[in-house]
Amino acid sequence: MSEQTQTSGLDLRALGPHLLLPLAIVAVIAVFAMLQPAMLSGDNVVNIMKQSSLFFFVACAQLVVIITRGFDLSVGATVSLVSVASSMVMTALIPSLGDGLGIFAGVVIGLLIGAAIGAVNGLLVAYGRINPFVVTLATMSIFTGVATTISGGFPIFNLPDAFTFAFNQMTILLLPIPLIIAGLVAYGLHFALTRTVHGRVLYVLGDSNEVAHVGGRRVKEHLFFAYVTSGVLASIAGLLMTAQTGSGEPNLGTSLVLSSIAAAVIGGASLRGGTGGISAPVYGSLLIVCLSIGMNLQQINGSLQPVVIGAILVFGAALDAYRTKVR
Amino acid sequence: MTAIAASQPSRLGRVMKAIGILPVVLLITCVLLALYEPRFLRTSNLINVLRNASFLAIISAGQMLVIIVGGFDISVGAIVALTSVSSALSMAGLTSMGVESAPMIVFLGCLGGLIPALIVGVANGFFVSVMKISPFMVTIGTMTMAAGIAGYVTGGTPIYDMPELFTREIGRGRLMELPYVVYAAVIVLMVLWYMQTQTRLGRYFYAVGGNEKASRLSGLNTRKYIWLAYILSALLAGIVGIFLTARVGSGEATLGSNLMLESISVAVIGGVALKGGVGRIQMVALSAIFLSVLSNGMSLARIDSKYHIIIIGLVIIIAVAAESYRENRRSGHV
Amino acid sequence: MNATSTGPGVVSTPGTPLVEISHLDKSYGAFKALEDMQFELRPGEVHVLFGENGAGKSTLIQIICGVQNYDSGEYRLFGEALTGLTPAMAHEKGVSIVFQEFSLIPDMTVEENLFLGHEMTGGWRLAKSAMRAKVQSVLSRLGFHLDPAARVSSLRRAHQQMVEIAKALLWDCRVLILDEPTASLTDQEAAQLFDIIEQLRDEGLGIIYVSHRMPEITRLADRITVLRDGKYIATVNQCDTSEKELVQLMTGRSFENFFPHIERTPGETVLTFDNVTLQSGLAENLSFEVRRGEVLGFAGLAGCGKSEVLRAAFGLERIATGRITANGVALEKHNPRKALSNRICYFPSDRSTEGLAMHQSLTFNSTIAALDDPVFSRGKTLLNRRAERGFTEKMIDKLKIRTPGLTAKADQLSGGNKQKLMIARGLSREFDVFLFDEPTVGVDIQAKLEIYDVIKALTEEGKAVVIASSELAEVMHMSHRVLVMREGHIVGELDGEDVTENAVLSHFFDHESESQAEEHHAP
Repeated sequence: MSEQTQTSGLDLRALGPHLLLPLAIVAVIAVFAMLQPAMLSGDNVVNIMKQSSLFFFVACAQLVVIITRGFDLSVGATVSLVSVASSMVMTALIPSLGDGLGIFAGVVIGLLIGAAIGAVNGLLVAYGRINPFVVTLATMSIFTGVATTISGGFPIFNLPDAFTFAFNQMTILLLPIPLIIAGLVAYGLHFALTRTVHGRVLYVLGDSNEVAHVGGRRVKEHLFFAYVTSGVLASIAGLLMTAQTGSGEPNLGTSLVLSSIAAAVIGGASLRGGTGGISAPVYGSLLIVCLSIGMNLQQINGSLQPVVIGAILVFGAALDAYRTKVR
Repeated sequence: MTAIAASQPSRLGRVMKAIGILPVVLLITCVLLALYEPRFLRTSNLINVLRNASFLAIISAGQMLVIIVGGFDISVGAIVALTSVSSALSMAGLTSMGVESAPMIVFLGCLGGLIPALIVGVANGFFVSVMKISPFMVTIGTMTMAAGIAGYVTGGTPIYDMPELFTREIGRGRLMELPYVVYAAVIVLMVLWYMQTQTRLGRYFYAVGGNEKASRLSGLNTRKYIWLAYILSALLAGIVGIFLTARVGSGEATLGSNLMLESISVAVIGGVALKGGVGRIQMVALSAIFLSVLSNGMSLARIDSKYHIIIIGLVIIIAVAAESYRENRRSGHV
Repeated sequence: MNATSTGPGVVSTPGTPLVEISHLDKSYGAFKALEDMQFELRPGEVHVLFGENGAGKSTLIQIICGVQNYDSGEYRLFGEALTGLTPAMAHEKGVSIVFQEFSLIPDMTVEENLFLGHEMTGGWRLAKSAMRAKVQSVLSRLGFHLDPAARVSSLRRAHQQMVEIAKALLWDCRVLILDEPTASLTDQEAAQLFDIIEQLRDEGLGIIYVSHRMPEITRLADRITVLRDGKYIATVNQCDTSEKELVQLMTGRSFENFFPHIERTPGETVLTFDNVTLQSGLAENLSFEVRRGEVLGFAGLAGCGKSEVLRAAFGLERIATGRITANGVALEKHNPRKALSNRICYFPSDRSTEGLAMHQSLTFNSTIAALDDPVFSRGKTLLNRRAERGFTEKMIDKLKIRTPGLTAKADQLSGGNKQKLMIARGLSREFDVFLFDEPTVGVDIQAKLEIYDVIKALTEEGKAVVIASSELAEVMHMSHRVLVMREGHIVGELDGEDVTENAVLSHFFDHESESQAEEHHAP
């Protein structure tokens, strides 16, 4: 009997954190809507959807490795390199192969590059047992260098219109294509994390490598694939962002590294590993994107915006520390 | 019974273990470079290398302290920018207020630059040690804020109007052929070396990073030392900010943007373990020289600057992989 | 004066008590760690704290040395009532403690660790040569052969323990607390320590000694205070209390009906060690067989290699030579995965790092070892969450796991329930061999009995069970066959009726005196 009352009491308290973020997002939108009615205009809503979808992928990439008590500082480099490399492939192949095949080749190359960067990280972290922070710091440096080297430091223009249309402007049932892809990926990732053995093992090994090992799981393999997944997700972000800007940019991902970690942590993934579901990148990216779009509309000085984001970051981390203390 | 025998490997082995491979690699790099490119040995070039190494060494020394107590300081680069802007602004302000004495302006300006650095350091230390927030998140947060404020205050344009004394003397002045910043670096290194090897404080930094709980049980106020490490790191970054500002001749919000990564790289290559509790200032200094020589060599060899970060990334991986290999082998033996 | 020390046969010695504790309460949340505790330590005595794991011994000594504070009651140190004591203050007043969990910094040297927090200085500077001289004198007084400049991480566990002891004795103290100090010492090193303890007692120190090893208690104790479930039970004189009485005080019931009777029906051999030597050198030349329908026990002091034997059987220790066979299949390149698929199940002694993912739900923890079983996953990839939930609910019922709910985290359970949750994993798929490493460490008595019942049920179902335990009574009374280990070797085997307390103990001691004699002959 007493156990039952305890259960319901716990559930209510457990519900609190779940409601906190959606409420915060609604509050942010409401405040900016009061200041600037344009916040709720059709164009702006589409803009919010697109921006947060793009940002969502890097936050997801981060989530997958944060669950394993890791980091991926190389997501930004992956975005940049994918942007440059697939743009170069497309512009090079389209004259001979035509739009369809050229775009296809560019996209495939992009995804492969993401997987390859993830594999390098995964090898060094899982099999080389090197601290993920250092590994991804180094690969970030390396692949950013590669991106600027192959592009010569300049943007790559003349991307086919079909590419920007198919991966950015197209709408299906009024929904912009990036949002649809984000929805599919969110569903897939959620499924993988909650319904598959791989996802389960990631949570357990994030809590304790030894427990997973004693439980007979192939810890290194799972850890390796977490980094590969992270790389692939980052490369999807790279492709979609390239379609958004309409050119291959060697510094497209530079600013994404820290904010992607911020998004995942604010959304509820703990840097201590073992926690955080798909809601973390969803809420995290929505919150950050709404804030920055709102501040843009309010014409808050561009330099001050990071100050707000930074404050939110520390606040989110404090929340995380508090949550950990409670549990 | 065999403890003494077991813990005393051969003399050569011990010497190798004590100095590590870094000095050897540094020496080989210098020799190869000198053979390949005689310009490397020109005095002006060597001074140049030394100057860069000094900037790096000072900021990495702070990073080292923070990593030793088991943390990270991502905000050092932003602190450099913030210091640059605020010292330039306070000098310009003092001048326009009609303060006559140039040394006074410079002195107060430097103080004005260090105060924001101190505030960031205190904030970092507070959040990490008292609130127990992940140092990574805290310093990312303060980094974004510090960089944002620096950018906002300058509005994107550099601040000039600094006394001649500051830019000429501190920026380009020399004592016995060497720029002042080299002496500053030497002083910082010596003070930290003394602290690490000869004082309680140095030991407590190691102890707190090596095993925080055990340190608490031994009666140490662990919070105090963690906090102090962040404050020292911020102040050292501030000092670098002032010297860089003097060197560049203007207060800039983009100054030091590479220094965060470089300082971590220097610390890691210098054998400072990210798990905390390990790291010696001598090795960090060598590592700073090594990175400066490396990038100088690449410039001399006309390797495109875009390749530099690739090569530095590779060096980091090799350094850490070697370290982790040694660590695994050692734990495998015992 | 002696109002606080009740219990039979209290001798009165002169002098004010060094430590006096009365009506002390301490709770962690809802869990009452200490309730109406009393304790008294006089100068010149060795006072043993005796009780099972989780009885409150550690909490009590942590309060005495200022690591924990208490909720209510009185604590007088050297006759002075105290509140808000910190470790530093306690140290200053003359309370030194040897922790069971190491309080050493692995990357620092022996000397640096010894002085940590109390370095000697001349002005700003560390007085290194003075410290070195002091270390040398203390180490030689203790008879410890340690290099002051060696890094602690490069030392063997026993040597680390010696550093820990030296750290406590570096400074003059009036109260010395030793929390299972011999857990990883060899007998010779332990004997050395006992001599020192006796010497210190004669110098007038009050010594609190936590241990549940009978031989040590018999040798050292003047008085013994027994704790059970956070409550004070009695304080008795060592000389007029028998071992049996002590155990009865500790467990609250007589020996005979504490442990269940397990039917023995030896069946086929399911696990064989054939002259196995571990790469770590912690256990050598192991040969034995594990049969269905019986319980095989490993007895021996902590650090004797018994837990490594179990780890080797489960593939957690690398094997240098020899062969492990399960159901006739040689296990080469052994690992936990292979062990599980060969129907071997292992319950580690260290629940918090190897046993349970503390921040994950009960379900995650109960099925982690069976995720490739078709019951819980389709094609070894897609989880069958309904089956998982059903299984966990069934286990909560069957093993009487008390939990706030299915979604509770492992961390929210008490020690006994954590252990039962881990045992649930053993029922998640078909196993033949169950390896229990310290099955009841940190578990309350109720849960202990329930765990014994599980072991009984498994054995009588015809499974093979192996138990390694430092609690002698447990191995003796639960096992049909006992292998005694010393310093990595199996030194004796006892079977059926021969498994008696005296037999096991005499095994310990015969070998001890022999090996000591050998060492005396050595140059």
